[in-house]
Amino acid sequence: MSLKKRFTAGGAFSYVYLTLLCILAVFPLVWLVVSAFKSSGEMLANPTKILPMDWTLENFETVLFTLRFTVNIKNSLIIALATTLVATVISALAAYGIIRFFPKLGNVMTKILITSYMFPSIMLVIPYAVVMRNIHLTNTRTGLVLVYMSFSVPYAVWMLVGFFKTVPIGIEEAARIDGANRIQVFTRVVLPLVRPGLVSTAIYVFINAWNEFLYAMLLVSSSSKTTLSVAVRTLEGADILNWGSMMAASAIVVLPSIFFFILIQNKLAGGLTEGSVK
Amino acid sequence: MPHHLKGRTSIQGSSLTRWFFVGPAMLVVICLLIYPLCTTVLYSFTDKTMIRADFNFTGFENYTRILTDPDFWSSFANSLVWTIFGVLGQLAIGFTGALCLNRIKSPVMRNVFRITAIIPWAFPSIATAMVWKWLLNGIYGFVPVSLRNLGITEGLAQFFSTPELVMPTLIFINIWFGFPLIMVNVYAALQTIPQDQYEAAQIDGASAWQSFIHVTVPHIRTVVGLLVVMRTVWIFNNFDLIYMITGGGPAGASSTMPIYIYDTGWTGRMVGRASTASVLLLLFLVILCVLYFRVITRWEKEDDK
Repeated sequence: MSLKKRFTAGGAFSYVYLTLLCILAVFPLVWLVVSAFKSSGEMLANPTKILPMDWTLENFETVLFTLRFTVNIKNSLIIALATTLVATVISALAAYGIIRFFPKLGNVMTKILITSYMFPSIMLVIPYAVVMRNIHLTNTRTGLVLVYMSFSVPYAVWMLVGFFKTVPIGIEEAARIDGANRIQVFTRVVLPLVRPGLVSTAIYVFINAWNEFLYAMLLVSSSSKTTLSVAVRTLEGADILNWGSMMAASAIVVLPSIFFFILIQNKLAGGLTEGSVK
Repeated sequence: MPHHLKGRTSIQGSSLTRWFFVGPAMLVVICLLIYPLCTTVLYSFTDKTMIRADFNFTGFENYTRILTDPDFWSSFANSLVWTIFGVLGQLAIGFTGALCLNRIKSPVMRNVFRITAIIPWAFPSIATAMVWKWLLNGIYGFVPVSLRNLGITEGLAQFFSTPELVMPTLIFINIWFGFPLIMVNVYAALQTIPQDQYEAAQIDGASAWQSFIHVTVPHIRTVVGLLVVMRTVWIFNNFDLIYMITGGGPAGASSTMPIYIYDTGWTGRMVGRASTASVLLLLFLVILCVLYFRVITRWEKEDDK
């Protein structure tokens, strides 16, 4: 009896706790979006009113057309897509290679990933800047894509190793006996089997490249090549501090990211658990 | 499937095939991580600047300069506060969130809670910075105005310009951003615990607390340990949030090591000295991780028994 009571009390507490946590988690997003649709007059007159009286698109118009954010959106898209493509190919090859040829490495992938995290971007960016100047890649989207491999590849390999582990080797052996070479086995047998994992990894790489800020700020200076994150940041330095435009610009950065995140949310965990079970 | 192939996971391949697969990633690691590390160590012993290409070796001068610089030590202290409270806060909220999530019986509600709670994780650092700056804005911000209207504060709270408030505020934002990752991973680990172990503990007359200590904790501690290391490194090295929200201010009150490195190397153009600070930061993290991993490896060995 007392046990049962404790469980229901625990259940109720769980609901309350999670509800509060979710409100806290989601409120900044709500505030960002509603602020983006408010006129500047309303924002300043009623700082605590949540829903706008008149929904207006003027902030989005300012950001997209007056401030020409379309250019930055295009830059961010090109860079993020190129990063996703290159990093996913490199990482899929590597993850498969690790699983099949260096299985011991596969068991310590989490430690390898953490080691790669130890290199602070603020440290790496100085050598990158020096080298890129020497090979004339400063201020180019190509240069930025190359630099983005530094964080995309370790993470994507780590994620993919978890997915490739599930491919039974027998299927590959069978294809080999049928006369397929190693690369054919990889592209025609293995890759289709891990497609869901591959897609999630690619999406995760895309989100991170889309969101990146430090390298984009320090390695690209010409305004025609600036990414979205950096462009949002420059709004703050503008003469007229317009929070409505800043929220509209932030909404343009955050919404694709959230959309893709929710698409892959059930694949986000597991890497660590996988590693611990071995 | 032929019996002898079962259980095997690795195969022999010619060395050319091996390098075809892992070569490109190796190249990324060598060119983008190992090479820059070596250059940083080299620069740390020179007077290199951002402006000139040539430089001279100055021995340990940068090291003595940095280690006697009070700004370096205050940044280091801020980094420790930022990291310790950030990790503990994310862990506390994420862990309790995962335990509660595990208790929700309805699968629909469980998904609703999980998906809603991961939203901060999807926030790009620029959007996190912008929205919190706006929420906490000292004139029109939702939070300060609400606090005043409710009579909790007398005037409008200045979260970013009050030296005593700035670090707690930044740490709060960091916890907001980071707890979902812990929650989702701990929750996934909780799911792997076999239910019969709880039933067995209950038959033995264990209280909820006892079964938590003897069943739950041993099963998930490795995952939690790895999460703690990952987050420690990530938070320690995080530059974006503080740079975009306060830039290290007011008057250095929220300057952490990465901010110090930025100020020295980019604003001050002293590449040599910034490299020295980077090397020191990295050394500190390496020592920390070696200690962490010693504990985790012991747990892993105990788990295998």
